[in-house]
Amino acid sequence: MKTFEEKWTAWLDGQLTGKELVEFEASLSDRAAAEAEKRAAHQLGALLKRELGAETLTNEEFFSHQLRERIAREDTVPSRSGTVSSWWTIPRLFWTGATSLALFLICTFVVVKEKNPAGQSDSLTQVLRMQLDPSTGPNATLTIFEAKEDRVTVLWTEGLQSLPADYAAK
Amino acid sequence: MQTEATPAQADVSELDLVKRCQAGQADAFDELVVRYRTRIFGMIYNMVHNEQDAWDLAQDSFVKAWKSIKRFRGRSSFYTWMYRIVMNVTIDWLRKKQIKGAGAEFDDSIQLKEIDPASKTVPKPDALPHERMERSEIRAQIDNAISQLTPEHRAVILMKEIEDMQYHEMAEALGCSIGTVMSRLFYARKKLQALLKDVYENI
Repeated sequence: MKTFEEKWTAWLDGQLTGKELVEFEASLSDRAAAEAEKRAAHQLGALLKRELGAETLTNEEFFSHQLRERIAREDTVPSRSGTVSSWWTIPRLFWTGATSLALFLICTFVVVKEKNPAGQSDSLTQVLRMQLDPSTGPNATLTIFEAKEDRVTVLWTEGLQSLPADYAAK
Repeated sequence: MQTEATPAQADVSELDLVKRCQAGQADAFDELVVRYRTRIFGMIYNMVHNEQDAWDLAQDSFVKAWKSIKRFRGRSSFYTWMYRIVMNVTIDWLRKKQIKGAGAEFDDSIQLKEIDPASKTVPKPDALPHERMERSEIRAQIDNAISQLTPEHRAVILMKEIEDMQYHEMAEALGCSIGTVMSRLFYARKKLQALLKDVYENI
């Protein structure tokens, strides 16, 4: 179903024929005014054609020359940029993204691990063993148990022949 | 490149030229450019009312056509296909300009400032468009009236009245339905009739 605008345009341009034309002209309330507008539209068309239709391109040779140069220039550039852009296919973008994410997670894990070294891990109980100064006892060892949850630290010494003065608790 | 097609060249069908272009033969594209450059330029000029801009937009359109010529399937004529590119390029440009300039695009003082004297795309550096073309009062009134239309309305009125294009060709060039083309024509004509009544009635 054509709108009024479509029928009007077709009528102005002489594109309405047969039954459609008869029906449209019968539907016009003021036929004389419509005909006057049709004439005005044709006058407008003639005016536009006369005034705007004569527009010409000066320097045609230069236009073509410039275009040829530009095409030649752009024909070489796309071959390079084309390689670059063709590399970024969707699967490659996906895999690049996935790899980047994996690398990020690995780096994050390493950094977090660095911040929480073994001695301060989140384990409930940590155990530190160390060999004491041989002068305090040749087989003296010190073991520290630290239970974070219970907030308890136990020092376990073995093989001490005597407790050095600077080991004394203050 | 020759500026006018010789009879022998004119005999070469458009489709043959297009096929040669699709095979990468730039000389065939040259020939198509020679055939259509003036019409394309004229159409764009009537839409943008500035020779320098029209020149650049025509160049852009031909470059785009060359780049996408392999996608041309021959369902329409090359000229209609080319027109679609021209319309896309020009309407996009007009929209951007309207957004940037807020409707001041045809203010002569602004145009003069915008012209870069060193621009490579100035066809004749020694003469500005408005100096070379002694525009008549009528022409100025027409340009002013057309500038008050939307880019889409400009396109349909120019394609219809200047190029004598059929509705279906215009629809194809603009990527819309025939009904839309007819509706746009209706409103474009109404507006131009109101704006140019004094001009066409007194000629």
